[in-house]
Amino acid sequence: MIKKLLPITLLAIVSFGCQPATENIDTINDPGKAVLGLDYRDFDRAASEMVQSMVASGAFKKEGGGRYVVAKGKITNDTMQRIDTDQLMGKVEQELTRSGLVVMTAAVGAGSEPGDSLVHSVRDIRDSDKGDEFNQDTLQAKGQLIAPELSISGKIIQRNVRYDNDKQQVEYYFQLRMTNLTTGLNFWQNEMVMGKRGDKKLAPW
Amino acid sequence: MRLTMLYTLLFIVIICPLGCYTPREERVKLQEGVGSSTPIDNVVTQQIAHAFSAIIGQGIEIRNAVTRINKDGFMELEVSGFNEAYDTRRFEYKVEWLDASGMVIDTTTSKWMQTSAMSKSPFAIKAVAPRTSAVNFRMNTRKIPN
Repeated sequence: MIKKLLPITLLAIVSFGCQPATENIDTINDPGKAVLGLDYRDFDRAASEMVQSMVASGAFKKEGGGRYVVAKGKITNDTMQRIDTDQLMGKVEQELTRSGLVVMTAAVGAGSEPGDSLVHSVRDIRDSDKGDEFNQDTLQAKGQLIAPELSISGKIIQRNVRYDNDKQQVEYYFQLRMTNLTTGLNFWQNEMVMGKRGDKKLAPW
Repeated sequence: MRLTMLYTLLFIVIICPLGCYTPREERVKLQEGVGSSTPIDNVVTQQIAHAFSAIIGQGIEIRNAVTRINKDGFMELEVSGFNEAYDTRRFEYKVEWLDASGMVIDTTTSKWMQTSAMSKSPFAIKAVAPRTSAVNFRMNTRKIPN
């Protein structure tokens, strides 16, 4: 019995010993290798470049003072990866707001989904029978929402190109634009390209 | 006879190259394999220069850092340098912005960014502070992780 169990035990010990240990990533100074897909470092770089481009453009100085109100438009994910575009836009919005250049609105957003559905939910409550249950002075009055003046929208595109017999090239295009909702004119626009080359057998997602 | 040969040799070595001299446009850098070979810069001397450069460990040199406040009140930075090496150098840099108290401003734009400098060529890195409170900066560099 012991003779039968010994090889299995040894195999189990050896296999366990070979397992790479799980470790936390140093997200501040990550020395990790590049990956073929998009990782958090790529989103950090893209967001950083986009924000710096916006700040440097000088396009968001509002005549007469004050700040533009910006709504989040549609960010299309045209890649082979399941990307939540908020990974990029969250950073951009956060930094734009903190820069003092613009104010983001959660009242309206691209499509049927606003930035924060509660903005409309509380108004639905106000207009329904449930509204009677609330102190009327604390309910949002009508005509208080501020309409957006600008909209930020964009696209993330992926192109796969065969580089040579062993390698593939994956190109990612981050495109963002800021549109004046009154005139339809683009206030600012930028594209950032990231290119990666790797083993053709690797799946870039 | 020997004197004649010496003069001929001197003519070839000194006068000929001078005769071929044409003034260069300093603002345009012709990389190896693009521009014409010269007695000083040719296939033979390039190999020696490459080896020597590698031995003494030539690389990126930072020459200047200029800051200015743009019309919206944000600090802009341009760091210029020169790649002394004979190969293209890719590296990462991170700019951190400091406020009037010397404290680091917390911003998501302070990330490791990539850049590249061609051999024996100048390069420039630009960055913009996303806060008007930035009055100074500090910058770090590292090799791109392999």
